[in-house]
Amino acid sequence: MATYAVEVVYRGIFQKSLSRNICRSIVLASRLEGKIGTAFGRYGDSPERNGIPAKYFAVVAGDPVELEEYLAQYEPTEVDVSIVVDDTLCKGVESWAWYGLQPINALTKPDGAVLVTSYQEPEQLKEDIHVKDQPYDLAILKGSKSFSGLWVYKDDHTDVRILGALARICPDMVGLDSYKEAILQQWGDQRKVTSAERAFERVRRSPVEPGEGNPAEPFSFDLPGWEVMEEALVIPGIEPGGGFRGGEGGFEPVRSSVFKKFSTRTMRPVVNFETCTKCTLCWLQCPDSCFDVTPDGLYDANMEACCGCGVCEDVCPVPDCITMVGEEAFSDNDSQHDHWRRDRDDYMGWLRDKIALGKSETRSHGFHHVGQYDEESQTVEVGYDD
Amino acid sequence: MTTTQQLVPLRGVKQSPLEELFTSGHRTCQGCESALVMKLMIKAAGPRTIVLGSTGCMYVANTTYYSTPWVVPWMHTQLGSSGSAALGTAAGLKALMRKAKMKDEPINVIAFCGDGGGADMGLSAISAALTHNEYNLLILLYDNESYANTDIQVSGSSPWGANSTFSPPGTLHRIMNRRWKKNTAGMLAAGHPQARYIATGCASYATDMMNKVRKALTIGGPTFMHTLDPCPKGWDYDPMYSHELGVLAVQTGIWVQYEVEDGKITLNGPSKVLARGKKRLPVEEYLKRQGRFAHFTPEDVAYFQSQIDEMWEKWWIPGVVPPGPQDP
Repeated sequence: MATYAVEVVYRGIFQKSLSRNICRSIVLASRLEGKIGTAFGRYGDSPERNGIPAKYFAVVAGDPVELEEYLAQYEPTEVDVSIVVDDTLCKGVESWAWYGLQPINALTKPDGAVLVTSYQEPEQLKEDIHVKDQPYDLAILKGSKSFSGLWVYKDDHTDVRILGALARICPDMVGLDSYKEAILQQWGDQRKVTSAERAFERVRRSPVEPGEGNPAEPFSFDLPGWEVMEEALVIPGIEPGGGFRGGEGGFEPVRSSVFKKFSTRTMRPVVNFETCTKCTLCWLQCPDSCFDVTPDGLYDANMEACCGCGVCEDVCPVPDCITMVGEEAFSDNDSQHDHWRRDRDDYMGWLRDKIALGKSETRSHGFHHVGQYDEESQTVEVGYDD
Repeated sequence: MTTTQQLVPLRGVKQSPLEELFTSGHRTCQGCESALVMKLMIKAAGPRTIVLGSTGCMYVANTTYYSTPWVVPWMHTQLGSSGSAALGTAAGLKALMRKAKMKDEPINVIAFCGDGGGADMGLSAISAALTHNEYNLLILLYDNESYANTDIQVSGSSPWGANSTFSPPGTLHRIMNRRWKKNTAGMLAAGHPQARYIATGCASYATDMMNKVRKALTIGGPTFMHTLDPCPKGWDYDPMYSHELGVLAVQTGIWVQYEVEDGKITLNGPSKVLARGKKRLPVEEYLKRQGRFAHFTPEDVAYFQSQIDEMWEKWWIPGVVPPGPQDP
């Protein structure tokens, strides 16, 4: 038989257990069909960091020789299905030890599929996903981002729903009955089997034509080889920054040109400059130094450096001055302060719209307090989607 | 002793220097408080500083292959050698200046280490550095309470009962880390009475922390600082709460903010107020927000609380000097 490979693109740490569960289950199910497989995390993503995109792979082959043959490479260069367990990853991924932004469909085979858990419509997701010169399918499984933390697993059935959807999209790799059996073996929970069955029925698939999608060129640069490095691996430091936008007053740091970090973000801060009291806390407490200081003492979050941790919203003493808004609501990394300076009324309207569109009642970022996942799991309907 | 730089204390956040000398583009976790410690440390120290980093998150995540977020000169050193690197650099600078091979000017030397590199492996080198009074240097231990870089193994600084890759709670044994957190700063202060300045800090109290860095760099001789850094990865919480957990660690009395200046111990800020009798927040407020303590039963929380109570009520100085045998 042919060798099949799938990748799970996920948020480091938050979704580590989730992606491991998915890949391990694929391998266990394949063995029930007399096949052989293996699941592994990408070497370059370890050690993982919270939120920074990472990958897990599962490979299924007919016999051990086929599997060995396939694994005689650093990592898969093509996969049958790219599974995306957080739809904001569709904007592209800048992995931990990878340089530049990689389109989410970079490894997807021609006529393969990208499977996304999302509440967005295919048209919306296609605005984010970079163009590819070969056709593939975009499959959407309705569902929220499943951000469980590291030590405590939030069992909202996302793992088995992905398996059910996979059985539909790539039935030749492993069939639904084997997944169901593997689920029972691991969890012994009939509800999880039902969730997988419903995902099998409900996953929606639409073709993406070559050239369809986000035309933007992903951020990239050349990796320097060892032969161009200086003796003792000395590398140039970052230049000291200067005044805001190169002018007098304020401060704008020079930022790393090789790692931007914005693809780590699932939410971004939007700032109401009218209510800001210039208390300095967002700027001072930002671990990523992402705030530029304007000459009049306001703080403009640089959207190429912000990784969306939310500390600024938490430390801001003014209610509704900084609001974290879901990344789905945005299509660029433009300066909010520039927009505000250009047209204050227009900016305030934009701000209200974005907050209305993308401010969520609950944070998706993992663990908040003991008992939270139990409470949330009770509200989860088996196999839920819309 | 050569002269040090003159760095004036900051009177409030608004006096914080605008310059970023540790800038964007490091691959730390969302909400990484240790990255914030780096940022505040170098903000306080200023541009004429050499930073040395022993292996740990702040080395690996910050300076992977051909990239750096540092504006000032930075060099990697081995896991246990932050003390040796600091001492060697300070001695080297002194010799070069004496031989007029470089301009004679005070240059700050800071070596940082994590709790694994500092409180465990590098303790002997730090101890050695703190005995060399003729060199000006600061060793900063950023403590995220585990070997977080290599995916969260227990260190000598991990708190009692915390979940980690080395101490997963099981059905037979719920508490797998049965060791109490090491009192690194207190131990170093007791053992190195000639070191003029040893302090603890927390980035949630940014001005206090920056002023401590400034004092450590200006007082002369080898100095040591220990900061508690909430770690969203190893402690398992929403990165948004990095700042709040630092505040909670201090307000519950788990982390004590103090400085030892020429042998005189002073508790600072909220810790000082707690020592005067202000009610401490229950430790449960701190523990229940972190996934690493999610397996705690009410008895475990009560035990943790009793240890903190004992520290505040029975110790000679809370968090610094434990009770002696002659105490009742």
